[in-house]
Amino acid sequence: MKFKLISCEIFFREMEFLLEQSPHKIDVEFMQKGLHDIPADEMLKRLQAQVDAAAEQEYDTILLGYGLCNNGLNGLKSRGVQLVLPRAHDCITLFLGSRARYQDYFFSHPGTYFKTTGWIERDKIADELKQLSIPNQTGMDMSYAELVEQYGEDNAEYLWEELCNTEKNYSQITFIEMGVEPDDSFEKIAKDEAVSKHWNFEKVPGDLGLLRRLLSGDWNPDDFLVVPPRREIAANHTEHIVELKSGN
Amino acid sequence: MAKNEALFEAVLKGKRKDVAEIVQQEVDKGTNVAEILMGSMVPAMAEIGDRFSRNEAYVPEMLIAARAMQAGLNILDPLLTQAGHKPLAKVAIGTVKGDLHDIGKNLVGMMLKGAGFEVMDLGVDCDIEKYKEAVENGAQCVLLSALLTTTMPYMKEVVSGLAGCGAKILIGGAPVTQQYADEIGADGYSNDANTAVKATKVVLGLAA
Repeated sequence: MKFKLISCEIFFREMEFLLEQSPHKIDVEFMQKGLHDIPADEMLKRLQAQVDAAAEQEYDTILLGYGLCNNGLNGLKSRGVQLVLPRAHDCITLFLGSRARYQDYFFSHPGTYFKTTGWIERDKIADELKQLSIPNQTGMDMSYAELVEQYGEDNAEYLWEELCNTEKNYSQITFIEMGVEPDDSFEKIAKDEAVSKHWNFEKVPGDLGLLRRLLSGDWNPDDFLVVPPRREIAANHTEHIVELKSGN
Repeated sequence: MAKNEALFEAVLKGKRKDVAEIVQQEVDKGTNVAEILMGSMVPAMAEIGDRFSRNEAYVPEMLIAARAMQAGLNILDPLLTQAGHKPLAKVAIGTVKGDLHDIGKNLVGMMLKGAGFEVMDLGVDCDIEKYKEAVENGAQCVLLSALLTTTMPYMKEVVSGLAGCGAKILIGGAPVTQQYADEIGADGYSNDANTAVKATKVVLGLAA
């Protein structure tokens, strides 16, 4: 089979590792990380353009290395080629291997930032996306000096706490070890960050199973949404996360 | 109602020390406390909200205006109670279970306060019991916030859990839509802090 994989670069090392083992011919397009920070319709526009371009070529299936990602995939249309999307809110499900595992961890460990190789080495958001990003539009990414200049010392202090200190409700860093790390340097970076913030640190094993099944064509409907040609992805706000939009 | 231009401007521009000073002067002069609030401060918050809706003001400007308003309210609140002034209604707001994001929730809460509502802030990570307790404590409208698609489905559980309690339920937050509000049977939805005030007035049958 001939597949096209359109994936967030957050999975770069995992995908490279799995691509080597896939029985299929897979062309790959990595998209820049941070699309979930821009308005959902902007993210959708960019992904749709990639899907449209891939659909012009001779592929059996277009694979999406994404989750619902802040509704950025809500409304994505297949053209002449079917799409396959894992049922996931975001990348953490794909790192942990199942949405049930993510759900359990998410609700039992509130206030956790997750780290993987991708979240460490590709964490910087491109300038062009930054301009459009919601933190930028709302003033959340202003520096303290910028706040002082624009709103005065008294208000700057308040705005910093209220608006810009996005870490105030967080208390843990969890490093997901995927088995694609070259050594323990990534774990160390994650751990050092936790220590410097006086947060908890935990290391959990990742699970490549879901990504592996995406690339190998093993698309169990419970874990994957297969979008036939000329249909549309819709968020459905249940444990299934996404569905085919009805009526088209 | 007479408008004190200096007070209106001070709230609008987020100058909390000026607001406190002017409010104190007015109180000392014997100006009607409800008039200070409703004639100058509430209109200033409505103005900043409308500017926000027109993209002429942004989140930081709204936050500092709300903070300035609060500086005035700290002086006025006990006097308003003494004078028998009633809030528009009592409402409660909280971010749903599992979700720790509070910027939007805080902003909506402050705008409601700025419009003359009594606001119970339930904080973040609120389970159904917390919302129920707020209704038992007199909340006529409950506002639910969620920033993540992971936590948004809990809104449905809250709406079911509060069915028949008599309070109105409004929902909002980045991934939330009117369609979702209709789907789960919430009484309303709003997509920003200014329209949240209008939506609250509408569901409570207050003049919008």
